[in-house]
Amino acid sequence: MGVEDNRSQLVAALARVAGGDRAALQIVYQDTSAKLFGVCLRILNDRSEAEDVLQEVYLTVWRKAASFDPARASPITWLVAIARNRSIDRLRAAVGGRRMDPIDAAEEVRDPAPAAVELIEAAQQSSRLGLCLEQLESRQSIAIRAAFLDGNTYEELAERMKVPLGTMKSWIRRGLLKLRDCLER
Amino acid sequence: MTDDRTIIQEEGDKLVAAEYVLGVLGAAERRQAQQRLAHDQAFADEVAFWEERLGSFADAVAPVAPPERAWTRIARAVKMRDPATARESLWQSLIFWRSFAIGAAALAAASIGALTFIEISPAARAPMLATLGASNGQPTFVAAVNAGGTGLLVVPAALLTSDPRAMELWLIPAGDKPHSLGLIEPGRPVRLDVPRELAGRLTADAALAVSMEPPGGSPTGQPTGPIVASGKLTSL
Repeated sequence: MGVEDNRSQLVAALARVAGGDRAALQIVYQDTSAKLFGVCLRILNDRSEAEDVLQEVYLTVWRKAASFDPARASPITWLVAIARNRSIDRLRAAVGGRRMDPIDAAEEVRDPAPAAVELIEAAQQSSRLGLCLEQLESRQSIAIRAAFLDGNTYEELAERMKVPLGTMKSWIRRGLLKLRDCLER
Repeated sequence: MTDDRTIIQEEGDKLVAAEYVLGVLGAAERRQAQQRLAHDQAFADEVAFWEERLGSFADAVAPVAPPERAWTRIARAVKMRDPATARESLWQSLIFWRSFAIGAAALAAASIGALTFIEISPAARAPMLATLGASNGQPTFVAAVNAGGTGLLVVPAALLTSDPRAMELWLIPAGDKPHSLGLIEPGRPVRLDVPRELAGRLTADAALAVSMEPPGGSPTGQPTGPIVASGKLTSL
């Protein structure tokens, strides 16, 4: 099944969820839960926390499906945003530190090899972002990527990459400004 | 190169949306951003921009199948039950679909309007509802018929068009030609009285449809323009 078919099926299922159709919620869940669980797990680094948050994510989808606007966002992006937001909210609410791996800017950020089918999808979807990231200094793009995938604060990123907080803020903010210019084009 | 501090001051506000989406804000700043989302449309647009653009980072995350019990818990939480609960889901559709396009204040007003309009009481005949969808499946209007069958409330579920033509609502009883119920508007809920000659004909086998017509409505008494939305009536 093509990416576009997938997308329009998901849009249709979300429209039905917005109408209170529980069977449609199950379709959305079947199509997307592994991806979203992966996203939650990556940020929370704890299976039982991730499972809790996954439940919150689909309950949010159930309640808020009507606010999904297919003209504005792709369905998977919308779902990933909910999963990330819920996971990050959970992280920020937690007291105490979290286990973090240091990032060596000379190496790639840890990254499980995506399956072939995903690579094809990713090539289509992320080409623009990939292209724009290439224009940043590598430490900038590494920091931005790690922030997105791992849900780190500025402080945590500074610690992981062993640079002062001000330096980290400056890298990321400059990087974001440059990215914005590029992504807008 | 400009001093960092200058950049940060000038662009800081614009960057908050990106920082929020990226997830680098601490708990307090993050809460502020979330509160701002609710009432600052420009900020919400900026957040949407970044969510869409940065979203493809997630392509790199490998899917992990959640345990079976995860769905069971979700299903229980949304009270997954048999089709006997369809009544409830129709109610949700009325509320959800309406919220597609109209603002919060209008929404609240329309909800109260629709609920009081239908006048649910155990003794009355069941009220009816139709979701009028466009050919792409997108719901565009929700119509609620009151329990007596004497009036309808037609609520836009999605802002359709800036088309200057009028929108006319038609009742199409099974096996019959369309009968006009009056003009409706894409931007606000409209209440219509059912013409006396159509009393009792808004039944569960009938359909409602919306056509585009010249200002003032169809000159012929039958639809003259394209049908832009249609749907069947369903008993609640």
